[in-house]
Amino acid sequence: MMGTILPVLASLLLFPGGLTVFLTGMAYEWMNRKLLARFQTRVGPRWFQPLADVIKLLAKEEVVPEDVHPGLFTALPVVALAGCLTAALYVPLWGVGPLYNFPGDLIVTLFLLSLLTLCLGIAGANTFDRFSLVGATRAFTQLFSYEAPFLLALLGPAFVAGSWQIDEIMASGAARWVILTQPIGFIVAVIGLIGKLELPPFDAPEAETEIVAGSLTEYSGRGLALFHMGKIIELVLGITLIAALYLGGLYSPLDFLIKTIALLIVIVILEALFARLRIDQSVGLWWRYGTLLVLLQWLGTIFWKGVAI
Amino acid sequence: MKFGTLLQDLARSAVHNPITEKYPFEVRATPARLRGRLNWDAENCIGCGLCVKDCPSQAIELIVIDKKTKQFQLFYHLNRCTFCAQCVYSCRQECLSLSRDEWELAALNQEDFHIQYEREVDEVPCVAATDPAEA
Amino acid sequence: MEKTEHKKGFTIPIGPQHPALKEPGHFRITVDGEIVTDVDVRLGYAHRGIEKAAEARSWVQNLYLFERVCGICSHIHAMAYCLGVERLAGVEAPPRAQAIRVLVAELERIHSHLLWLGVAAHEAGFDTLFMYSWRDRETIMDVLERFSGNRVNYSANILGGVKYDLDDEFVQFMCEGLDYLETRSEYYLEVVTTDAMFLQRTQNIGVMTRSQAELLGTVGPTARASNVHRDIRYEAPYSAYKQFPISIVLDQRGDLEARFVVRIKELFESYRLIRRILEELPEGDLAARMPRKIAEGETVSRVEAPRGELFYFIKSNGSDTPERVRVRTPTICNMMSVVKLAIGHQLADVPMILAGIDPCFSCNDRMFRVHLDQSVYANVGPLKG
Repeated sequence: MMGTILPVLASLLLFPGGLTVFLTGMAYEWMNRKLLARFQTRVGPRWFQPLADVIKLLAKEEVVPEDVHPGLFTALPVVALAGCLTAALYVPLWGVGPLYNFPGDLIVTLFLLSLLTLCLGIAGANTFDRFSLVGATRAFTQLFSYEAPFLLALLGPAFVAGSWQIDEIMASGAARWVILTQPIGFIVAVIGLIGKLELPPFDAPEAETEIVAGSLTEYSGRGLALFHMGKIIELVLGITLIAALYLGGLYSPLDFLIKTIALLIVIVILEALFARLRIDQSVGLWWRYGTLLVLLQWLGTIFWKGVAI
Repeated sequence: MKFGTLLQDLARSAVHNPITEKYPFEVRATPARLRGRLNWDAENCIGCGLCVKDCPSQAIELIVIDKKTKQFQLFYHLNRCTFCAQCVYSCRQECLSLSRDEWELAALNQEDFHIQYEREVDEVPCVAATDPAEA
Repeated sequence: MEKTEHKKGFTIPIGPQHPALKEPGHFRITVDGEIVTDVDVRLGYAHRGIEKAAEARSWVQNLYLFERVCGICSHIHAMAYCLGVERLAGVEAPPRAQAIRVLVAELERIHSHLLWLGVAAHEAGFDTLFMYSWRDRETIMDVLERFSGNRVNYSANILGGVKYDLDDEFVQFMCEGLDYLETRSEYYLEVVTTDAMFLQRTQNIGVMTRSQAELLGTVGPTARASNVHRDIRYEAPYSAYKQFPISIVLDQRGDLEARFVVRIKELFESYRLIRRILEELPEGDLAARMPRKIAEGETVSRVEAPRGELFYFIKSNGSDTPERVRVRTPTICNMMSVVKLAIGHQLADVPMILAGIDPCFSCNDRMFRVHLDQSVYANVGPLKG
């Protein structure tokens, strides 16, 4: 009995799940911040800064504001982080293949990743802080706008592979890089990920110059740390997913590093390059261009499949 | 209408070293006119008190002990000084100057900000004439 | 302003402590969803009693007090004060001193406009432009530091003239800096007029027509972006601007983009003027002798600060301290335009519109009485871009 539980526990808690996910998240957050700093001719944080931030936040007192539902206030960050950690089990992190798989795990993973935004929105709506409320409204608005094109974009490779299971899609996509056949889907997926992570230029839900920190304005200490961890894990998972589905799969740690870091650099360049979009502008962008283009590509793919058969 | 007009600059900055100065580790040369700590050359001071009168922040106190033997005490309150150089400009005898090198002036104690300048005068005045003034 | 009636909607307080405003000002923004329906402004959090303090200080000491009214435009405050006091005393600063004063004022304008460009870009979430423009602003800060020994409060003025002279080494250093900044400014002009994502946030946002700009009493680049010919350097040249005239920079459109364009184009005008001053720099003394007691009388001194018209009223009773000094900074003139322009816009545009006037809160916080004539404001009508 022990013999079977220990490796499972180790893989869940140490590698590739649990601790490794945390550390990878911090490493990628550091890379994100450092690269952005260098693009802006700044020095940027030192390598241990993400870890130091989390430790500091965990050590800080958590202030629970009045008039909030205290249970919800404490539970939401936990749920958000748990969602991200669960999603990590189905994603080929570090190129060692997903820890678990079942038919349809792609859909489950995508919804688990959306859990974070959902929790963020509810967390904002839970408090009576006006910045949080506006942030929550914007977070939900953005969720409803990017989710459809992002989902459609990630389902494109799945559709071609004829499977909803991540490792099967990866295996079928290995022969040909899907980015070459579905470039629009790739672009929409990358931009969708930026929207999902609320990074600039889609950071209207937490626009510092308007609504302080959006939904998380009232969070301090542990709750903020957990949300933050959730976000950086989602960054890694999102990049990994896109790399796995569009960039010919991830089969070794080296493969993983090269492809994900290349994607990260693209994301950082986009972050540095654009001014923040207003919430109405980003909704317009997603529905008017993102969704339509992806749907067009879907039509093309369906047509191509029909011809091929 | 263009997208990503800053791309060219991003590429340049990516290969360029950050321009941030790592201050306590690298200290840049100060410009010649830098206005740092006030120094008093007691030798020429005639005790007119114009510096005290014009100082906008009352950072200078001049105590005249004996005008004939040129015995003055100058109290300089560093924490009040705004480094405007009005005293230097007002001084007709050119005995005040703002240091170019002493500009890292933070201190932990109040006492460190109160600087007392005094001309070293020996008992016999004729010896004092050859003594360099302490600044 | 008294607002007793119950307002519908959701009020978002911005300030006095808020990441969007680095200075203390309080805005109550009533929104309906994301649309702003009402804006109320409260100022006075940083009232420092400078005008009263001036009455207890000598004419010379006040020079440094007024230099500290504004951290960014320190020189222009001292210059306005000096020009007023010199006029009262009947002393005229030597031509070389006048030219150097104007030169430093233009350097300060460059520094202020580049700083503003960064702040406005930051409000739009365009942090890369913010970092770049502040990096380039360091060039001008170094020039000012080399000239006067200080980066912010240059203290270049003295009653009756200036303290520092230009030497060849400095002139060369400054010209190199200006050449670099000129290429950068051209680049920034291209960025703010062509970057599609940035234009989305500036084009047709906060549009103020010429008549509205005049009615709201806006000054400086904010007014000039609405095609109002209002520039003291041009209308009533003072100091060396008589000898070195400036051409006024105007824009027809009146939106946020126009405010960007006007300010960046003013940079080119400043570069040109500085080069011209260097070419024709008059020889002579740096300062005229000033009496310690200023003759009785009163005067008004108007200069063009980077943000607009700066107004000093100085009254002397013949002693060595002023009887009354009244300061009106440009921000207070422009503040009402924010209140009017923001209505009807998205909440996300409010920080941009506010940044568009280049506000400087602690400068404008001083006692004044407003005689509200509601009929005047009723004529402004709804402003919507």
